[in-house]
Amino acid sequence: MMMKNKAGGAGGGMSGSGEGAGPTAAAAAAALQKQKALLQRVETDITSVVDNFTQIVNVARVSDLPVKNSQEAYMMEMRASKMVQAADSILKLVSELKQTAIFSGFASLNDHVEQRIAEFDQEAEKTNRLLARIGDDASASLKELEAHYYSSSQRLTPDV
Amino acid sequence: MDSDMEISLDRLPIKRLESIEENGAERFPSDVGYDDKRVSLIRRIDFAWALEEEDELKNNKKKKKTSKEGPEQWQWKGMVENLQSAHQELSVIIDLINTVEANDAVTVAGMTRPKPIPNEILSDLAVSTATKLQSYRHLGKFFKQSAKSLEQKVNREARFYGALIRLQRNWKVKRQRVLASNASNEGFTIDLSDSSLYDPASGFRPSTLSTIRVEHDSAGMLAINLPQDSWYSLRFGFVGLNSIDNPNESDEHINSTTGQDPISEKQSVSDDESVKETHSLLREVHKSIFAEQLFDMLNREAFSEGVGFSISGIRENFMEMNIGQGASLFVSLYPSGKNASIKKSESANMLIESSAEGDCRVNKLGFPSRASYEIYLQQIFHEHAFGKAKDQPKSKSNRASNQTAKDNNSGLLDHFCLSLAHRIFSARVLVQLESVVCKVPYLHLISHPTWNSRTSSWTVLMTVPPSIIPQGRSESQSLDGKRNIKTQFRTRVVVKDDCISIEAECTPNVVGLLKSTSCNLFSMNKYECDLADLPVIILQQVASQIVCWLLEEARTVGTKASRDFLSLSLEIVEGERVSLVGQVNPEDVKGCISWWLVMENGCTEERKGVSESRKSLGHLSLDVLYSVLMDLINLCGSGRNALD
Repeated sequence: MMMKNKAGGAGGGMSGSGEGAGPTAAAAAAALQKQKALLQRVETDITSVVDNFTQIVNVARVSDLPVKNSQEAYMMEMRASKMVQAADSILKLVSELKQTAIFSGFASLNDHVEQRIAEFDQEAEKTNRLLARIGDDASASLKELEAHYYSSSQRLTPDV
Repeated sequence: MDSDMEISLDRLPIKRLESIEENGAERFPSDVGYDDKRVSLIRRIDFAWALEEEDELKNNKKKKKTSKEGPEQWQWKGMVENLQSAHQELSVIIDLINTVEANDAVTVAGMTRPKPIPNEILSDLAVSTATKLQSYRHLGKFFKQSAKSLEQKVNREARFYGALIRLQRNWKVKRQRVLASNASNEGFTIDLSDSSLYDPASGFRPSTLSTIRVEHDSAGMLAINLPQDSWYSLRFGFVGLNSIDNPNESDEHINSTTGQDPISEKQSVSDDESVKETHSLLREVHKSIFAEQLFDMLNREAFSEGVGFSISGIRENFMEMNIGQGASLFVSLYPSGKNASIKKSESANMLIESSAEGDCRVNKLGFPSRASYEIYLQQIFHEHAFGKAKDQPKSKSNRASNQTAKDNNSGLLDHFCLSLAHRIFSARVLVQLESVVCKVPYLHLISHPTWNSRTSSWTVLMTVPPSIIPQGRSESQSLDGKRNIKTQFRTRVVVKDDCISIEAECTPNVVGLLKSTSCNLFSMNKYECDLADLPVIILQQVASQIVCWLLEEARTVGTKASRDFLSLSLEIVEGERVSLVGQVNPEDVKGCISWWLVMENGCTEERKGVSESRKSLGHLSLDVLYSVLMDLINLCGSGRNALD
């Protein structure tokens, strides 16, 4: 999905680069270059996995010469290691893509930040209204209580 | 050796005729060199005897095996024997090869593979197949192991990045590209600083806690390592009333997710809880940075001139100041966290009271709530620091922000100290007002919340009985045509900082006496007083209002009456006057305002001086006073009629 987005972005960038030069065109070109490099890495790794696996399967035939069998055994170990190395390389590529998605998704980040700002502003406004309402209620209650208290015959002398 | 020894005889080293040709020439064999001789000797070595011996040994062993069959036969014994024999043969061959190799004159002419026995082909094939199968099995294990470790790595990364993305929703996550690969830190940091604050004009410095490294814990989950005492919280209180170090107060001890203390480390049940804990920790650090900035600002303002405070003590993370009104307060930064509570109890050097007792004593002394003013201090700093960058809409709810905007001339610390001093002073004013109002039944006290931290306002309300005289009959009007019939008298008391001002009508002043027209009688006057005189002033004001009211009522019925401070005089006959005089005493527990009836006989030419008789009427309600007035008016009327 990330690759497709990048391709779409790169395609858009490419179409825009023809219209004018500047940072946007340079950034689009850099993004395209990076995409190509990533695709190349993926292709290399996948090819390595497939080729090595094919070779491992191909040497399944038992040779007459035991020396050749030993030789093939060492080759199988080597190719298995290369397969695992290629798989690890693919996983690292995925990690890099995840990091890029986390740190380069400015549009979604900005949208999210603005959304959170709006939410917090609403929360602050709501809290302020609540505080104002509490203040008004407290003021009204105080007025009522004072009226009742000073209208009553049991006024207590406050401790000074 | 048990077998017969075979002896081979060599020919004598005599040259023997080999052949004679037809022409008679004799041919003798060529001389054999030493090396050739040696080679021939080597070739003559016969290993048959060794092979025969081995065969015999094998046969004997087989016989022994068949004779000794039982449960103790070792299954690998045959293989061991085969290997031993093979080893022996190999050693012989190796010796031979070494000898041939050492001897340059002898070379291996050729090697012929022994004819393979049919079983050997199959066994070799089986061995090769088994070896290959073993290799594939080994590969399979290797792949399984690798798959497992890669899957674990994927899961760890998924957990880590999932948590990082969730944190990124609320915090600023940055990435630093590190050259050396470090398993515990991939270069992620969380930036808690606010760039809008850190400019030279504001004077704020970035805190050491502004940047926090994101690390992995042992399970691969995102973790933040912070020492327990690295963050602070702000503490505010009154010297001698609130403890500086209060271990009784329960703070939220936020444990680091990595668990600096292995004993208290709790294993998160789920990643959600781990992320929540991290959120809480970051929030604590964020609050700590805010507290540090606030304290930093207070420190800087402490060295500037202020009206409302004077510094009485200062040390690291601690500041003490006098704010007047007999109060001293302290502001301090102290470390939060688990270990901090132990340190607090050890380093306490002030008289510590429990928080409950302290609050009780605080309330008795009229000191406001410590927590409320701690919040207020943080709020005004927050608006000062962050409100400049943002346009806050001025609404009814933002009363505090409006007020601080107006009071920008004084620093925040000055404003805060003045607010606190005002609160203490206004509490004392309220006590005085309540002590007066409670003793006088016809007075009511109304509080007016001003929503201003340095202004307080009350009204002393007095409601007089309605007049029995209809309003249409000889009602006095002022020059502007308005009626002067009043049913309520208000005395407004406003306290700004430590200044008391009173605003009311019918003020008992000298100027008002000279112009005793109705329009001036009820004019509003404003004046100031101090706390000690407040009860007397209020009582005098109220008594004056009562006198004004009675005067107006008397004038309404056409009686000639006059007012002199707190006395209302009515003329009965020429030279004879009766006065109703009010006396105020704040200490009087039965009622602070009492009334006297004074009879004055006017002096004639024969008699010098004025004779006066007084009678105390005591503490009268307004209804009774009104009745007394009416009686006096009737008395005045009957006296005039008698003269007539």
